[in-house]
Amino acid sequence: MTVETRDLTKYYWMGKEKVVALDSVNLKMEEGAFISVVGPSGSGKSTLLNVIGCLDAPTKGEVYLAGWRVDYRNKQSLVRLRRKFMGFVFQTFNLIPALNAVENVEYPMYFNKEGRSKSERRENAMKLLDMVGLEKRANHLPSELSGGEQQRIAIARALANDPKLILADEPTGNLDSRMGKSILDLLRRLNEEEGKNIIMVTHDLESAKKMSKVVRIMDGRIQ
Amino acid sequence: MKELFSLASRQLGRKKLRVFLIVLGIAIGVAAVIGVTSLGEGIRVQAVEQIKASHDLTTIDVSAGVEAESITLITDSKLKAIEREEHVLFVAPYVKDSYVTQNNTYLAVKGITPEYRQIHRNLQLEMGDWFEERGDHNEIVLGYDVAKRLSIIEDLGIGDEFTTKIRLYGEEGRPKDKPAVFKIAGILKSAGDEHDNQALVGIKEAKEMDEKDAYDGLFVKVDDPAFAASVGDKIEGLGLSARSAQDVIDEVNKLMVAVTIVFGFFSGISLVVGALMVVNTMIISVYERTKEIGLTKALGASDFDIMKMFLAECVIIGVIGGILGDLLGIGFSVLIDIVGKPFLVSALGGELGAGLQSGSITAITPGILAAGFTISLVLSIVSGLYPARRASRLNPLDALRQI
Repeated sequence: MTVETRDLTKYYWMGKEKVVALDSVNLKMEEGAFISVVGPSGSGKSTLLNVIGCLDAPTKGEVYLAGWRVDYRNKQSLVRLRRKFMGFVFQTFNLIPALNAVENVEYPMYFNKEGRSKSERRENAMKLLDMVGLEKRANHLPSELSGGEQQRIAIARALANDPKLILADEPTGNLDSRMGKSILDLLRRLNEEEGKNIIMVTHDLESAKKMSKVVRIMDGRIQ
Repeated sequence: MKELFSLASRQLGRKKLRVFLIVLGIAIGVAAVIGVTSLGEGIRVQAVEQIKASHDLTTIDVSAGVEAESITLITDSKLKAIEREEHVLFVAPYVKDSYVTQNNTYLAVKGITPEYRQIHRNLQLEMGDWFEERGDHNEIVLGYDVAKRLSIIEDLGIGDEFTTKIRLYGEEGRPKDKPAVFKIAGILKSAGDEHDNQALVGIKEAKEMDEKDAYDGLFVKVDDPAFAASVGDKIEGLGLSARSAQDVIDEVNKLMVAVTIVFGFFSGISLVVGALMVVNTMIISVYERTKEIGLTKALGASDFDIMKMFLAECVIIGVIGGILGDLLGIGFSVLIDIVGKPFLVSALGGELGAGLQSGSITAITPGILAAGFTISLVLSIVSGLYPARRASRLNPLDALRQI
């Protein structure tokens, strides 16, 4: 899925101070690309991810997903876009504590109304767990898993509805370097073998350079 | 749907103590309503049973119809009309008069037909005989208390004749006393009702005495209690007033249902507390799970999906609260019966108290239990609406940022 932003601008107000999070960002992403967004804290990289991920609306400018303009005023269509085309991976994993590993992976499929039957969902979830190497942990609760394992579950969950685009916001930020590397390997594999488009926000410039096209952002502008 | 509830029960399972406490809060409210309602229902059932035991449900008590300015008298033609009605076995008309003896003792006299005695089967002779129908002389049967009075004051007994007068009013309104001699034919056993203070004579003699065209009242006997109401309606259609035990039962039912609803309503105030607990707990739950809600939205859940998830939790709370409330309510009603019955029996005393003694003063019906369950369920869902709506409206990004 191609992703394109045109003059994407976002400000918000902190009290009386206007904060420019994105300033006329033009970004083009080809089918099957892997982009790492790097930049200092507060540079607007997470905002970019959230706007593309339909979690946040821009002040100005447009986003085109697979050539279609996203209508940020239509809440229902944003829900559908997230459900069908996006997979989110967060820095803090955000697994649901009440659900075990396989149920966490099944969770997004549950909201996909054109989805599969219960047994198909379970089958798919197990397949995804297998892919991230955690099929043996299927019945463990998040609290019984390490950070790296939780993030792998979270990646499996991001893949649940077979999205075209994976949006990862500092996926290795809360992990030690060894675990972080395994997560990056996993993402690269998803990009290379499964052809997923990936946009990743990261601080780890060295790793990012090796596996993806790097976009630097500073004060809301692409450098 | 099944998964929605399984997810909801998992979420509730994380907060077992909290869920138990709200469920208990609702259940106690429901139990209070059930207990009070069962008391009302129990007393209603007892009262109706007592009416049924002491009244003949096949008898209709007819009196002159009074409507605004006009009075419809029970004339012979009305009597014939009633007799012709379907399901009517027989009618027993009577007239009521007041006689006075020469020594100024007043007698409440009722002129009756033999059918009257079939209605009032409790009228038994202590001594003597009933008067002969259309006998050649005036005979009278005295009620128990009347007989005692006459024997003490006037030294009259069985077989004695005495002169009595009835006061009539002539056409110009002038009073005119009409004398007659009656022979005491019999004396009644104490019946424990109005008849103890009445004297009975044949209706023919009574009508000769009072010169009235109409009857003062009549009893209608129907073949089956089921038709008492319809026959009563037809009699009322003739402009007369008809009452049967069923009317009394209807009134008791109406009264007790009204009383029970009022009591139930006030005991239901405890349900408000339960409802507020649900609102409070669900709001806290929304706060605690803000991030999870944001995440769920990011993963593709719509506002409605989020709302359903929270309402499903409320449904589970309501169902458990309803079942527990019903069980507690049954226990509560048993407790009311054990503790409250001796008190009620001694407070009411007499026949009414004795009647209560045999049965239970509370009655649990399937309707009451169903109502208790429904109240719990509806209350939980309604209480959950605001928190659920609040959760569904969270902005996913803001919610995700929440720590």
